[in-house]
Amino acid sequence: MAKIKLELVNLSKEFGKLTAVDDVNIAIEESETMALLGPSGCGKSTILNMIVGLEAPTSGDILIDGKSVLDVPPGERNIGLVFQDYAVFTHMTVRNNLAYGLKIRKLAQPEIEREIAKVAEFLSITHQLDRKPDELGASELQRVAIGRTLVTSPEILLLDEPLSNLEAAMRNQMRRELRRIQADTGQTIIYVTHDQIEALSLAHRIAVMDFGSLQQYDTAHNVYQYPKNRFVGSFLGNPPMNFLKGKLSESGGRRAVTSGDSTIPLPAGNLGSDVSAGSDVVVGVRPESLSLASADDPGSFSVPILAIEPQGPETVVTATFGDSSLKVIVPTGTEATEGDSIALVPKSDLVALFDAESGVRLLDSGDRR
Amino acid sequence: MVTNTSKGGVSTIGMGKPRRFDPNDKKYIPALLITPVQILLCVMLIFPFILEFVISLTEWQPIYGDFWTAFGSVFTQKINQGINYNYLVTEEPRYLQALGRTVIMSVISLCLEFLIGLGLASLFLKKFWGKRIWFTALLTPMMIMPVVVGYTWFMLFQYNGPINQIFGWIAFSPVNLQWLNDGTLAFIAVIVTEVWHWTPLFFLIMLSGLNAVPENPIRAATVLGASNFKIFWTIILPNMRAVIIIAFVIRGMEVVKLFDEIYLLTRGGPGTSTETISLYLYKLAFEDFRLAYAGSAAFIVLVITVVLINMMLKPIRYQLVEGR
Amino acid sequence: MPERKFTPFNFIALIAGLLFAVFPILWMVSTSFKLRSEWVTSPPTWVSSAPTVDNYLTILAPQVLLERRGGTKQVGDENFGGSKDDAAGGAIADLLNRSAWPGIKGSIIISLSATILSIVVGLMAAISISRYRFGGNFTPFFILAGRMFPPIAIAIPFVIMFGPKVFDITDTYFGLIVAYAAVTVPFSTWMLKSFVDDLPHEIEEAAMMDGYSRWRAHFTVTVPLIKGGIIATTLFIFILNWSEFLFALILTYTDVQTIPVTLSKYFSATEGTLYGVQAALAMVSIVPLVIVGFFIQKHLVRGLTLGAIKR
Repeated sequence: MAKIKLELVNLSKEFGKLTAVDDVNIAIEESETMALLGPSGCGKSTILNMIVGLEAPTSGDILIDGKSVLDVPPGERNIGLVFQDYAVFTHMTVRNNLAYGLKIRKLAQPEIEREIAKVAEFLSITHQLDRKPDELGASELQRVAIGRTLVTSPEILLLDEPLSNLEAAMRNQMRRELRRIQADTGQTIIYVTHDQIEALSLAHRIAVMDFGSLQQYDTAHNVYQYPKNRFVGSFLGNPPMNFLKGKLSESGGRRAVTSGDSTIPLPAGNLGSDVSAGSDVVVGVRPESLSLASADDPGSFSVPILAIEPQGPETVVTATFGDSSLKVIVPTGTEATEGDSIALVPKSDLVALFDAESGVRLLDSGDRR
Repeated sequence: MVTNTSKGGVSTIGMGKPRRFDPNDKKYIPALLITPVQILLCVMLIFPFILEFVISLTEWQPIYGDFWTAFGSVFTQKINQGINYNYLVTEEPRYLQALGRTVIMSVISLCLEFLIGLGLASLFLKKFWGKRIWFTALLTPMMIMPVVVGYTWFMLFQYNGPINQIFGWIAFSPVNLQWLNDGTLAFIAVIVTEVWHWTPLFFLIMLSGLNAVPENPIRAATVLGASNFKIFWTIILPNMRAVIIIAFVIRGMEVVKLFDEIYLLTRGGPGTSTETISLYLYKLAFEDFRLAYAGSAAFIVLVITVVLINMMLKPIRYQLVEGR
Repeated sequence: MPERKFTPFNFIALIAGLLFAVFPILWMVSTSFKLRSEWVTSPPTWVSSAPTVDNYLTILAPQVLLERRGGTKQVGDENFGGSKDDAAGGAIADLLNRSAWPGIKGSIIISLSATILSIVVGLMAAISISRYRFGGNFTPFFILAGRMFPPIAIAIPFVIMFGPKVFDITDTYFGLIVAYAAVTVPFSTWMLKSFVDDLPHEIEEAAMMDGYSRWRAHFTVTVPLIKGGIIATTLFIFILNWSEFLFALILTYTDVQTIPVTLSKYFSATEGTLYGVQAALAMVSIVPLVIVGFFIQKHLVRGLTLGAIKR
């Protein structure tokens, strides 16, 4: 059982009547890399500020190594923070930026020089130590910002939207860099982001948040494939998860969801809660989890095609399922025309059933591989 | 090339017709617009200074006659070739002393205004009730006419005035400082008056500068463990460098010219203890009526100030022309 | 994060600052209502025991005082002293001469005219510099040069120029108006320039593409759009002109007076400085300034820093 490095216990923050963070509980393991993911306003930045110490929680606790740090000022929590805009000190050289934290800790000059050289080497910015920030590009500035915190050897590293300020080409490079830093330093790293691709590509575990509460905290794989509620399902994945509204029906021991003329059979399994035939449900299934079948395959269903959009090697087919629409990715060249029907079969363990009102996941079978 | 004129006609250039002065032509407009200013300045600035320079080369005094005599005297009388200037710099201690006093007084005033203004501005970063009212109240000194400022403090600094009274309360024994009759005290009184009058300007400028410091570097420094003082010294102040220079230069430009308040407080006295360059020139020209001499003194001052101020403006030239 | 909390120490500092800022003004206010006997006392009188508006009457309506005294024969009065040895006529003549109306009239005429002149000239120059970059860097700074030297330095040749035999405009409204305009034009030019700078030049180009000539574009499009800035600059220059002392002192004698000069003359050989009367005139004269200042608070920084800093 891995050691818990950082733990948020019943953490809440209110600003007057607005509840920004609502009773969040997260336990982050040592040397783990996790992401706080959610749309703007979901509370992730507030949590970031509370972990670092720039804001105090209204209630709840924050524990590092098992001890509460609520009374510990930001500079002494041994946490490093890299801002979204890097916040490099523009009036100082790179060297002095890196040295800032060390000078505060009253290190001796030769030691400061050594640490700076090490970090600069590690982040490949040695040749820029004596330049001023206005001569540097975005990804170099980011490395200075990272270096500035790494040099103080924090035990926890927080990065706010690390990839959002970079151009596409830079992002891949920085992703590799970040993974290298993860591997080499063994620190506990927390990414805060609204970009699900960023989260999926960088983190072991993802905490998905919405409106101040934690929706799901699990490995990236699980959060992606086995979302606990409709929000999580919709937030991750591009193209997004399909949501098919309909009524639950049961015949001959097999369950299915029907809307209008379309029916999708549900895989066998228990339902997590009492759901009776006839109630409104929503089926969630990702486009890539649907494959072409022939009409008489078991477990398949047919839907009328609405539109076909070739996109290079793949084609996106939009079909209708009752009132909802459904997207499928098929190889280009597949025989299909608008107006036809197409037969699809879902991967049985990747179908989710959500309550139509609350969005909570109902079908429990097949989760947690 | 064909251009439209305001009258709807078409002027064609390069087709053999004589080129009419078209006020709409882009070339002429800026020149036309700037002409009034140039005329005003030429008549009211350039010409007077040429006049002053010419006069300063003579020993003309108003009793000798009129302006044309003065002008002519350069040619008819002996041309002193700068004897006035020579004398001023080498033999007239009062002139150099006045310059020195001006510099000292200005520097002390500026520094005090800066520190107090900065302090007040930092206060305003915090949260408290009624900011608008405090703000307006703190700005009032700046709005008062220099003459009134001079009079008010003249009253306050009287031997039997409230300032001595307040000091008496604090010291628990009667205080009877002769503010305006003692050389050093008068100097201090003038500085206090000037600082009272213009600290609000520094306050305003510093406030604007403080508000413009970006927030994230401050937070980054906090997370790195910097104390409030360290943040102020290493992050906030350097970010305000441009604004601070502007404040010093612009107010510096005005403070060396200080006249009204000093005239009303002490007339330059007692003795010469508060005689700054403005007062010295006034005395020379309008009490001693040695216009030529005063002219040369003034001319030197002119050259010095223009050169110095241009130097001081250099770092902020860009900001001034383009706007921050 | 710099402390956002407001400590008691902060409060004390703020109160101290406020008291320091406001005390002299309050003293002046109080003095303007003091009786003659309370002007110079030891210890000083903070607030009058019987506040009177006589000081104000002296400067604004001396006839009222005369009437109240029942004629012109009386000498010696708690507000208008003079020893009993003073000729009756002397004290009365003094009294009538102290009316501040000539000064007020002069200040209004001169300040208004000089302000208008300064704004008109400055506005044109501002457009020229801002839109056309006329004169590159030299012209704007040349205009600024007008502020760089002590006014006394230019007052010396002014005295000669204004004197008889040259332009002979001493002691005239015109002379002062032109002098004031010349000295304030740097401020008006630079301040207006910063407002024109703020306006995107596409606006004029759009007007020109619609058929407006340049002149028309500037004056029917640009100028109205910076109306607020023009008003602020006008008020600012007005404050400068209203407060000006040195030129008024030197270039006027009897025909023309401005308030600052009148203030400086409230001194009589027999009675010393007339503090109460001065205070009253001071109050009257700073009222427009404080009101104006309040309205252009936002733009004060811009004006005083020549447009370098916009709040």
